[in-house]
Amino acid sequence: MARQIIIGLLLCFLLQPEGKAQEDETPYAVTAATSIGYGRYNVMDTYLTPGSKISFQGGGMRILDERMKLTHLASSRISRQQLFNMDISLTDNGAGTTNTLNGFADYSIGYHYRFKPIDNLVLLAGASAHLMAGFVYSTKASNNPASVKADLDLNISAMALYHLSIRNYPLTLRYQVESPFVGMLFSPHFGQSYYEIFDQGNSSGIVPFTSFHNKQAMKNYLTIDFPIGKIMVRAGYLNSLYYLNVNGIQSHIISNSFTIGIVKEFVSFGGKHIKQQSRYKSAYY
Amino acid sequence: MIKQLWIVFSGLFLLFSCQDTDEYTVNPRENFEALWKILDENYCFFDYKAIDWDEVHSRYAVQIQDSMNQFELFDLMAKMLSELKDGHTNLYSSFNVARYWDWYKDYPPNFYEELNDAYLGKDYKIAGGMEYKKIANDRIGYVRYSSFSSTLGESNLDYMFYHFKECQALVIDIRNNGGGSLANSERFASRFIQEKTNVGYIMHKTGKGHNDFSEPYPIVLEPTERIRWLRPVVVLTNRHCYSAANDFVMKMRMFPHVTIMGDKTGGGSGFPFTSELPNGWSVRFSACPMLDNEKQLTEFGIEPDIPVSITESDLLGGKDTIIEEAILYLLRTTEK
Repeated sequence: MARQIIIGLLLCFLLQPEGKAQEDETPYAVTAATSIGYGRYNVMDTYLTPGSKISFQGGGMRILDERMKLTHLASSRISRQQLFNMDISLTDNGAGTTNTLNGFADYSIGYHYRFKPIDNLVLLAGASAHLMAGFVYSTKASNNPASVKADLDLNISAMALYHLSIRNYPLTLRYQVESPFVGMLFSPHFGQSYYEIFDQGNSSGIVPFTSFHNKQAMKNYLTIDFPIGKIMVRAGYLNSLYYLNVNGIQSHIISNSFTIGIVKEFVSFGGKHIKQQSRYKSAYY
Repeated sequence: MIKQLWIVFSGLFLLFSCQDTDEYTVNPRENFEALWKILDENYCFFDYKAIDWDEVHSRYAVQIQDSMNQFELFDLMAKMLSELKDGHTNLYSSFNVARYWDWYKDYPPNFYEELNDAYLGKDYKIAGGMEYKKIANDRIGYVRYSSFSSTLGESNLDYMFYHFKECQALVIDIRNNGGGSLANSERFASRFIQEKTNVGYIMHKTGKGHNDFSEPYPIVLEPTERIRWLRPVVVLTNRHCYSAANDFVMKMRMFPHVTIMGDKTGGGSGFPFTSELPNGWSVRFSACPMLDNEKQLTEFGIEPDIPVSITESDLLGGKDTIIEEAILYLLRTTEK
C-alpha cells in the first residue's frame, strides 16, 4: 500500500502541467551549472561486515550537473531544479587491509515555491523526487562482496539565494538543504545472500518502505557564483549524509566535497519554441 | 515557517552527526570480543553442531592478555575458531590464514595425482577446467573436474558431451575438488535432468539468535536447453569433496541414472560470508545453511551409494580402485 502511495505521489509530482505558455513574455532562462568535486568519504555497511561496524574512509571524485528554471506555475513563483550527480570513491579500513570501491549516481527533480522577503534574497521551499543507484564493493568479502543501493525518495527541499556585490563585483550565494521524508529502496535481509535473491528468486521484502524511522539522509549544498572575465564560476561545498537501518542492516555514507564549475544561462528554442527563431539566429533551424 | 524549517533541518543535522562505528584498534581483548560477537550473531551451525559458544568464550577470554603480540593473538583466535569444526571458517591476517582441514586430513586420501595422470595419459582433451578422454575401449567417457572455481562454460560442456556421443556411460571424477562456484555446480548438474527439479533449500539468519532462521527457500534446478546426458553416470568422490563439490553431489545423487561412488564427501553446506575485525583481519564463516531436497543438512558430508576405497595392492600396482570399480559397474549396467 505504501509503495502505491509513493508511486502515486511521484506521478503527480512528475506529471505536473507546465501551465499555459505565454509566448510574448520574456523567455525563461535555464541556469545550468556543471561542477567537478573532490572530497572525503566515510562508508560503513554491516552487510559487508556482519557483526561489526567497520568504517572505511578515503577520497572520491564527483561530477555534478544542475539545471534551474522558472516555470509558469503560480504566476512564475515556482521554479524547477534538476540535479544529476555521479561520484566514485575508494576507501579503506583503518588498518589499510581492505578497500571498498563506492560508486553512486543520483538524479533529482524538484519544484520550489519562491519568496522574496527582502531585496537580493530569495527563499525557496519545495519538494523533489530523487532516484539513486550505486554500490559499495569490498575487495575482500567472498559471498557478500557488495552492498547494492537503489533508492527512490521524495525529499523536502529548501534553498536560499542571496545576491550581493562587493565594490561592484557581483556574487551569488546559495545554501540548499534536502532530506527524504518517504521512499523505498532495495535491501537484502539480514544475513541473506544475493545468491538467494537473484539466483533463486527469493525477493520477498527486499524493497521496503522508508521514512525517518529507518532512513535519515540530508544534503547540504553551499555555493558561491562569481564572474571571471566572461565566465561565471561556481565554487561549492557539498555535505552528504546517508544513514540506513533497514532489514536488520545498518549502513552510512558520509561525504564532504568541494566543487568547482562553470555556470551558463541559456534559453531553449527547441521543440515547441522553435517558431520563436525570428528572435534569434540559428545555425541549424 | 522558514524558522521552523531551519530548526527541523538543524536538528536532523545534529542527529545524523552521531556516528556509531568500530574504530581501528589492535587491542587484543577488543579484537577477540569482536571476533566472538561476529560468530555469535552470524554463524549458522551452533545448534546443529551442539557448540556452546558462551562456554567457548569463557574458556578463551581468560587466555587473552593485553600484552600478547599479534601472532599469539592470531593463534589463540585460530584455536577458538577450530572449535567450530568448519572448513568454511577462516581467519585471515597479512601473515597467516587459520583453517580447519581435519575434515579430510584425518581420512584416507582415495586420490593420487600420479595414478590419475596414468589414466589420463597424454592424449586427453581440456575444455575449461575439465580434462576428459574416452576409456574402456571408448565405451565410457571419463571427465576430471578438480575445482568448481575453474571455468565451466556451456560451450565447454557441449564439446565434452559431444566428444562422448558414442559412449554408453560417463564417469565424472570430482575427487579432491575443494569447491568453488555454486553457479558451476548448477550448470553442470542441469545437464542431467529433463524437467525442473527441486534440488534443495537455502535459509538465512533473520536475527542474532542462534536459531533465528528464515523458512527454507527452495532451490530449483532448470534443465538445460543444450546437450543433456541421460545415460548412466558415476560420480567419483572422496573426503576432499567440499562446499560446491559437496553441493554437486547433493544434487546429482537425486537423479536416477547417477550413482555416487568412492568415499564420503567432506561436507561444507554453509554458504560463507566474510566480516572484519577492528585490527583489519578478516573472518570467513558459514552463514546460510543449504539443505538437501529432504531439508537435511550435509555439513558433515554425503555417503556414497557405493563405498569404494583405493586398496594398497592396487596402489602398488598402479591402479585406481575407484576408477576401476566405476568402469566395471558401468559396463555391467550398460550390458543389461
